[in-house]
Amino acid sequence: MADRLRVSVSGIRGKVPSALNVENASKFAAAFSSYLEKGTIVLCRDGRESSRMLAMSSISSVSASGMDCIDLGRLPTPFLQFFLNKNSYSGGLSVSAGHNPCPWNAILLLDCEGHYLEASQGPEVFNVYESGTFEKAPWNKLGKIKESTFPFHFYLKALSKVVHFREIKNAHFKIIADPCNGAVSPFLKPYSEFFGLNIISINDDIDKPFSHSPEPSIENSSQAEAVVKATDSDLGFLLNSDGSRISLVSEKGIGLSEEMTLPLCLISLKEKIKKVVSTVATSSLVDWAADELDLKVIRTKVGQSSVTHTMLAEGAKAGGEGSGSFAFLPFSPGYDSLLALTLILDLMAREGRKLSEIISPFPSLTRKKIKIEIPPVKIYRVMDHLEEKYAKEHPDYTDGIRINRKKAWFIIRPSLTEFILRIMIEGKDAEAISSIEDEIIERIRT
Amino acid sequence: MRASDLKISISGIRGIVGQSLTPQLILKFSEAFTSFIGEGEIGVAQDTRPSGNMLKYAVFSGLLSCGATPVDMGILPIPSLQFYVKAKKLKGGICITASHNPVEWNALKLIKKGGFFLNPYEAEELLDFYYQGRFKRVHKSGIIKKENYPFKIHENKIFKFINREAIRKRKPKVIVDPCGGAASPYVKNFLEKLGAEVICINSRLSNGFPRNPEPLPQNIQKLCESVKKYGADIGFAQDADADRLAVVDEKANPIGEEYTLALAVNHYLSSRKKTPVVVNLSTSRVIQDISRKAGVELIRTKVGEINVSRKMLEAGAKIGGEGNGGIIATDIHACRDSFTGMALILEYMAVSKKNISYLKQELPLYRMIKEKVKANFSDRKRIFNLIKSKFKQGQINTEDGLRIEYPEYWIHVRPSNTEPVMRIIIEGKNKEQIDSLYSEIKEHL
Repeated sequence: MADRLRVSVSGIRGKVPSALNVENASKFAAAFSSYLEKGTIVLCRDGRESSRMLAMSSISSVSASGMDCIDLGRLPTPFLQFFLNKNSYSGGLSVSAGHNPCPWNAILLLDCEGHYLEASQGPEVFNVYESGTFEKAPWNKLGKIKESTFPFHFYLKALSKVVHFREIKNAHFKIIADPCNGAVSPFLKPYSEFFGLNIISINDDIDKPFSHSPEPSIENSSQAEAVVKATDSDLGFLLNSDGSRISLVSEKGIGLSEEMTLPLCLISLKEKIKKVVSTVATSSLVDWAADELDLKVIRTKVGQSSVTHTMLAEGAKAGGEGSGSFAFLPFSPGYDSLLALTLILDLMAREGRKLSEIISPFPSLTRKKIKIEIPPVKIYRVMDHLEEKYAKEHPDYTDGIRINRKKAWFIIRPSLTEFILRIMIEGKDAEAISSIEDEIIERIRT
Repeated sequence: MRASDLKISISGIRGIVGQSLTPQLILKFSEAFTSFIGEGEIGVAQDTRPSGNMLKYAVFSGLLSCGATPVDMGILPIPSLQFYVKAKKLKGGICITASHNPVEWNALKLIKKGGFFLNPYEAEELLDFYYQGRFKRVHKSGIIKKENYPFKIHENKIFKFINREAIRKRKPKVIVDPCGGAASPYVKNFLEKLGAEVICINSRLSNGFPRNPEPLPQNIQKLCESVKKYGADIGFAQDADADRLAVVDEKANPIGEEYTLALAVNHYLSSRKKTPVVVNLSTSRVIQDISRKAGVELIRTKVGEINVSRKMLEAGAKIGGEGNGGIIATDIHACRDSFTGMALILEYMAVSKKNISYLKQELPLYRMIKEKVKANFSDRKRIFNLIKSKFKQGQINTEDGLRIEYPEYWIHVRPSNTEPVMRIIIEGKNKEQIDSLYSEIKEHL
């Protein structure tokens, strides 16, 4: 049952080839092209072994619909979002499952400005997909297919304007990068040259399979931790496969939670922002940082679509999630790991402080993230059942069930990307957290 | 009954782009092909139809999906793809071409190892994979390889086999008309390397093919005019995928596609080894006369390149082909090949020191009528029975449709593999007799 295709506002996702394959990729791209009607679709993919075939079938469908197609090849999703934002094309397709391990893959839909589709747009594309009636251009009106390269120098230039370029350059940081053989790998060298960094990369061969689960987290940090220590570096970082998420390793060789990325970015941007959008499943570190910086926090559903569209609606420039994601609208609409990294380097350079010093005032919180596999047909029954049990505590239903207790808060919600329930518990008291964990598991089982 | 323009048959998949031929169908068909033929390198070539690019990406995705490695050959004639598959020991090949069909059509032609088309049993098996969705999909797709000048090994093989010295000495003036098809990027250079002086017409596809791509006398008027205008020694016309060849003589007359094969066979048997000759059941008797004169056996097979080429290998025949202008010389490969055909005919002119019109005149003259009549599946039996009852005395062969042979003439009636029509071919020496036979048959239909 885990092999079902997962359809969400961000696109389609599933295990290749049982759930996601060239056939439904082709139909999905045809549906998206038919929905957009005319113009050009820009496409990119990550380095996964299944991404090439899914991209090829998508390209064929775009052309068959009569829309032109620009293929940017292997490229991080945030770069495509940046590209769409600075040019005038009709939309984008990114073949990448981000943090999901192989054999998962996904096809993400992007609008003409590089945003994920809005909650209301997704279903319109799915309706075309389900109807199976796609635009078909005659032989002399087929879309042109063009292979092109992403103008990375242009991206770097824009990025340098968001930060204090000279300060970063003068700091001569020594950094350990673990891009997990993902789509950012080939860009690290020009990035480090541009910012005057000394980046030593591990797992940076895009032609190789993922060296570990492509999810930036403490669990996956051990390699980077060891190398940071051994080389006496200033910083280490981990990326997911499409470069939308990042987690850090301090100069002491200690892996930091991916939840720290967002507050660090906020501190770096300080006076440039007044509001931040985050999700109900993100650490209260955000609230702490917002208090310090005098920011307004708006909490929304999980996922890039709801966060960025809330940012647009609320006029918030900054937004992100506890997964290690951060977006800054004046730069680009996408969650962008290199943006987050550069902001944090900027902070370190300006304050002349080490990363461990910067995070030392952070409140010490214990956090537990749990995944429980549940067959897709049962997920909503389990959620109903839990709603009933927690009704008395007046839960926040923004996304799943969130309960705020004195010693800890927790959230239980179905994953957008996999057939699992995600649970996060956070608080200061480790004992309280494990008793909540036991309680939730028991309530799910009964 | 409503006929679809989509044809999924043992000949492959064929349809009109923008109507029935969608990327979804093409990629599924490519998946079925890979599942049937197995993982490995599969050459992908296309003719010049603008829809080729869109379809190529669908083919790539279908091949990758089932674990094959596509080798992208770009625009390439089908005989060159067949040669490449054989020479480089690829697992198979897919050519994106609807051959002589109009430009809005496209199709996939499937090639197995050795450069051969699928035989009917293999094609049936492939269709089983397709219809049952028995796809051996993988989650790791491989890479796409790119071949930059795949024509090279093909032409080099021909150059080794042909007496280029003789052609160079004669330096014939050649007009070639590739119909803006897959031969366009290569043919001028190829003929020049053979030793000819070359003018290439219709070398580009603009808003469709510059002429009807089937190299029949009525479609190659411009070639005839050019031969006259430039005072050329010969004119060649190819179809869109460059397997068939038509010839225009120095007097600007099309010699007829049946005589393309006749010239090649006559030259081969007089200049090289005496081997059996294999042609299909619809091919002119002129080949029979040539074979008899050379003292070699003539073998006839069902229509279709694969039937002829299999028989050639089985019988040890070195020369043969199909009367529609498809020359096969197994010294190169057992495939219809207009390049091999042009080389043999130029060599014939050079070695014999004769003009094409003279070389044709040396051969017996036949009157052949090739027509097609619309007929769906249910009409076929009726037509067969009718003709059988009219021509009782003839020698009947039902290997491929119905063929009736008399001493003075023969009639062949067979359903087309690619269109809902019956093909009718009548040939004999007496023009009046053949014409009246045809009107008699037509009346009955």
